[in-house]
Amino acid sequence: MSVDRSVARQGVIDALPLFVPAVPFGLVIGLAIADSGMNPLAGWSSSWVVFAGAAQLTLITLLGSGAALVAAVGTALVVNARHLMYSAALAPTFQRQPPWFRRLGPYLLIDQVFALMAVRPDEEPDRFRTYYLAVGITFWTLWLGVTALGVLIGPVIPQEWNLEFAVPILFIGLLVLGIDRWPKVVAAVVGAVATYLAAGLPNRTGLLVGAAVGILAGTVAERYRGE
Amino acid sequence: MSELIAVLVVGLGSYLFRSFFILALAHRRIPDQVLVSLRFVAPAVMASLIVALMTDSEGNVAIGVPEATALLVGGAVAQRTRNHIWTLFAGMAVYWVMQALV
Repeated sequence: MSVDRSVARQGVIDALPLFVPAVPFGLVIGLAIADSGMNPLAGWSSSWVVFAGAAQLTLITLLGSGAALVAAVGTALVVNARHLMYSAALAPTFQRQPPWFRRLGPYLLIDQVFALMAVRPDEEPDRFRTYYLAVGITFWTLWLGVTALGVLIGPVIPQEWNLEFAVPILFIGLLVLGIDRWPKVVAAVVGAVATYLAAGLPNRTGLLVGAAVGILAGTVAERYRGE
Repeated sequence: MSELIAVLVVGLGSYLFRSFFILALAHRRIPDQVLVSLRFVAPAVMASLIVALMTDSEGNVAIGVPEATALLVGGAVAQRTRNHIWTLFAGMAVYWVMQALV
């Protein structure tokens, strides 16, 4: 029990610094919900139903800007497709876990949890599970709180501050921070240009077309890089 | 109601992505080609989203000098500091200053 407790405490301690950058993100999501005109409770429920900042922000912003439901849902799902990679990377480790945890664990498998777990695949199964749950539940609790705070203070903030512009700023931060090789620059530039060219397509489906072209361009560039 | 359905569908899809290999295909390998392509999802989608937010539904550019400057500065600050909080503060500060000036 005492080992469990110290492992759990370590998980909480490790999660806290990783949560700091997520605070403005969570607040902006809350503000975006308040700004989008959607039902605040439905918007906030994305925090525990979806539990993934970038996908939530995508869904809420697109729904608020009048995009068709299918385009908003489709784009948000594409944003979260990267979680397939996390699932693949941790699948062998999860084979040593009980069935209940194999079902519950993936729900908490967000970027930060993966970052902390990917470096300890050979951890003893009980310790792995305790640490994973401590990290995941810490993020989950703080995330629900911060996004709720954003929804609550959203309507109080003066319209002239134009805080909705924080959304593209956050996206550009995510874009730049994620770039660690030039094929990703190719994916971003080609994706942006293709989206612009396809912007006239109905219901903002041009976004999906542009993103798909960008992913393809990055994959091709990576192949050239490897040769 | 449709908003709630959208949230539920994205939530279900996200869970399926996260659990796919853990629950269903633990002993199989993902084709390398798929893994390579998944790396480019984030940059392509983020860049596309920024463009989509900056154009109107007919495909015309819908931003002015303040927005464009703020995005450039935000991108530069992200590159330099590798930090979301600085990026957000710098981008919004430039946006507000430029709005007041232009």
